[in-house]
Amino acid sequence: MLALSMRSVRRRPGRFTAMLLSATVGAAVIMAFNSLHDVAAAPGVDSASSEILTIAAAIVGGYGTLLVFISIASTLTVNVRQRSEEIKLLRSAGATPLQIKLMLVGEAALIAVAAVVLAVGPAMLGGRALLEMFQETGQVAAGVEYAFGPIGLGAGVGSTLLASVGAAFMAVRRATRAASGTDRANRGRRRSLLGIAALVLGTGSVLTTLTLDETEPAAMAPAAYGSILIAFGLALFAPSMVGGAMAAFEGMLARTGGSGHLSAHNLRRRASEMSGVLMPMILFVGLSFGTLYMQAVENDALAASGAAKTVEDKNLETMNLVVVGIIAVFACIMLVNSLYAAVSYRGGEFGRQRLAGATPGQVLGMVGIEGVVLTVVGVALGSVAGIAGILPFAALRTDSMLPDQGPGMWIGIAAVAALATLATGLGTARKALRTPAVDAVGLAA
Amino acid sequence: MNPTTTRHDPEAGRESLRLTSVSKSYGTGAGAVTALDRVTLDLPAGSFMAVMGPSGSGKSTLLRCAAGLDTPDSGEVVVDGEPMTGRSEAALTKFRRKRIGFVFQQYNLLPTLTVYQNTVLPLRLSRSRVDRERALRILAEVGLGDRVDHLPDQLSGGQRQRVAIARALVTGPRLVFADEPTGALDLHSARDVLRLLREAAALHGQTVVMVTHDPVAASYADFVQFLADGRLVGRMSSPTVDAVAERLAHLGDTVAQAHRVGA
Repeated sequence: MLALSMRSVRRRPGRFTAMLLSATVGAAVIMAFNSLHDVAAAPGVDSASSEILTIAAAIVGGYGTLLVFISIASTLTVNVRQRSEEIKLLRSAGATPLQIKLMLVGEAALIAVAAVVLAVGPAMLGGRALLEMFQETGQVAAGVEYAFGPIGLGAGVGSTLLASVGAAFMAVRRATRAASGTDRANRGRRRSLLGIAALVLGTGSVLTTLTLDETEPAAMAPAAYGSILIAFGLALFAPSMVGGAMAAFEGMLARTGGSGHLSAHNLRRRASEMSGVLMPMILFVGLSFGTLYMQAVENDALAASGAAKTVEDKNLETMNLVVVGIIAVFACIMLVNSLYAAVSYRGGEFGRQRLAGATPGQVLGMVGIEGVVLTVVGVALGSVAGIAGILPFAALRTDSMLPDQGPGMWIGIAAVAALATLATGLGTARKALRTPAVDAVGLAA
Repeated sequence: MNPTTTRHDPEAGRESLRLTSVSKSYGTGAGAVTALDRVTLDLPAGSFMAVMGPSGSGKSTLLRCAAGLDTPDSGEVVVDGEPMTGRSEAALTKFRRKRIGFVFQQYNLLPTLTVYQNTVLPLRLSRSRVDRERALRILAEVGLGDRVDHLPDQLSGGQRQRVAIARALVTGPRLVFADEPTGALDLHSARDVLRLLREAAALHGQTVVMVTHDPVAASYADFVQFLADGRLVGRMSSPTVDAVAERLAHLGDTVAQAHRVGA
């Protein structure tokens, strides 16, 4: 089966690009931060520097591993779903479920190894840049030398491999479950329960901010975590909200002509499939919005109090921005990937629409309208999650619920989300439309 | 060359489809396959033609080129008086959705739309007024009057194909193209579908072009056009199942012979 995996990867490298990309970015982030452990462990590093390096490595390393897992899992699930035809063929050719599982897990492992190899160079550069940043802000002694050693490499290999193989197992399991058509209702109920739990916990976490002491240095943490949880919870309920929104706008959309008519029906019935796109978008908007504004509030509050930034403040700001940056990049990759997959998967549907009389322009218009609706819902829910974190934090720090910052950063974040969604959706649809309609409907979809 | 089947339709006899020396090949160089080789064909309005031939004879390519779904390498295609060659996909689509109806082996219904919504989709896409009464009447005619709010996956294959026929007829097209419309159906459903196609031609004066490999299906047509290696190799009027089957078998022989001679 490993031979089959290798052939499968070698012959069709294109469809593994998304997975390789997210695994490589993930491995680079993990190794860059974990190499700080190596730096700290080198002889002659003073204890203060060593402590900061270790904390940074531990916090972001943990986040990183989780993110790598989520993004690989999402790309892999898409990959397996797109190949259901091939998997069916293998089954009918006599492959046992175990053999198929082994093939897919083998592929994931191969890609993980390739990703780590590709990521070593960027990780070393990134790690060096991180160290320099800590040195420039005076948090780490200037004499400390960069090192890339066994801990960084080991963490990279271990996490990436584990995440890939684990994600592959999950994707296969989900695929076989879906094939047998069981537990759909169960999943819906589990989803609602999970969503409610996330919303309740998130709200609780956000509210504890108000009970904190104003001078507490880690005051941002419960607000930030709470806002992540709320974003996650809202993302779980997003599909049904899209359905509701579409039902409300259906009449209006239908009047805008052919494209509107097509989208209205699609979004309402396919709302659950949209969650793959909405989840990363809501997380992206919620997190970047929340953290960037909270950091701005913090900076203003410090400036207003006249106190200089302590090393701890600087450290916290660095970490905040780095973590947000990483999560935002990952969420963006996931958004682009899942949207690309969702749209390219629909070549057959586009073909049927064209054969029923839709012009290519009408199909593109439909994808565009769907993109706009997704962006509006994603940005709206993400903003709710962000505000949920910002308001209590601003209240604690500045005695006023509303932060002074203008909407500039928010507009920027929304613009990135809109651009990623529309560019990916329309670009992919354009590509799909190049296939003649009669051929497109024949392709496995 | 025109078959003499007369119709009650006033437009009967008017030319509905004309192919002039249409050629089409796929691939390039040594691997190139000639799917159509200078095919010339005239079809008057209101006739029901079946196109038959062995696998790879160019049947589907003929249908695709005639319907403007594929562009021929050379030659001219004229549908209902308008040329189909040298136009953009958008222009062709707009032309098709008013004048041409399609029925495919795989139905090609949109799974997210109900039977009624699928049926009126071409009208919605062309922003035409949707005549609900008329659409429902057509659905009743194809025997789906009680299924209008079902989704395609709640229907049998035969029912789905009848939705596809209703959709093909809803715009009142001049031509209906059917590509193996009974290929995935059981005998009983196939008979229903063929009757509907014949009625479209006989009662409503629509021109029907059907590609099939099934002599039974072909026997419903006014005449059968045989195709082998991309060329027209004969026509049979008032076909019967046995005559078509025999001709097909014979067609296989001549093709094999031609290959031996050619090799």
